[in-house]
Amino acid sequence: MAETILSIAAIIIMIAIALGIYRLVKGPTVVDRVIALDLLTLVSIAMIALIAHTTSRFIYIDVALVYGLLSFLSVLAVARYLEKGL
Amino acid sequence: MTMMTLLTLILCIGILISALLATYLERRVAAVVSAGLVGLFASVTYVILSAPDVAMTEAAIGSGITTVIFLYALSKTKEQPIEQPGEQPRESNDD
Repeated sequence: MAETILSIAAIIIMIAIALGIYRLVKGPTVVDRVIALDLLTLVSIAMIALIAHTTSRFIYIDVALVYGLLSFLSVLAVARYLEKGL
Repeated sequence: MTMMTLLTLILCIGILISALLATYLERRVAAVVSAGLVGLFASVTYVILSAPDVAMTEAAIGSGITTVIFLYALSKTKEQPIEQPGEQPRESNDD
């Protein structure tokens, strides 16, 4: 049961990465690419948590924690640069 | 573990596509965003390769600080459109 749920979660994460990469390649404006970066950061946090659960090494959660703390920084910098130049 | 192999494969494809985009995009801000995405995918690959300390450093420096420093450097310069000789100056639909 748990194995099935984890496999479905991995498939959903792969589909989300594919859609994010599609928007990154296709996206005509810079704002689309920044949104794709934000989406892929969130999906990466979910994937690190999934890997930590499947390999049962819970020190990997710390990496996801650092990611969650720092993920807003680059998006914030790009938004401020696009608005008025950092 | 076949599911982990599939995840690693799609991450490596993501690294390749992001690096190609960082090379070929003409708008500089989009290129900086793509270069940050290379660090993001590489960090998750380091976690799969069971090196969480390297992944943490890559997440903090390669994906977070580098983008901010690049944008700070870009804000000190002026962005000029690249003009190829012998081509019509075309309308940029970026931005």
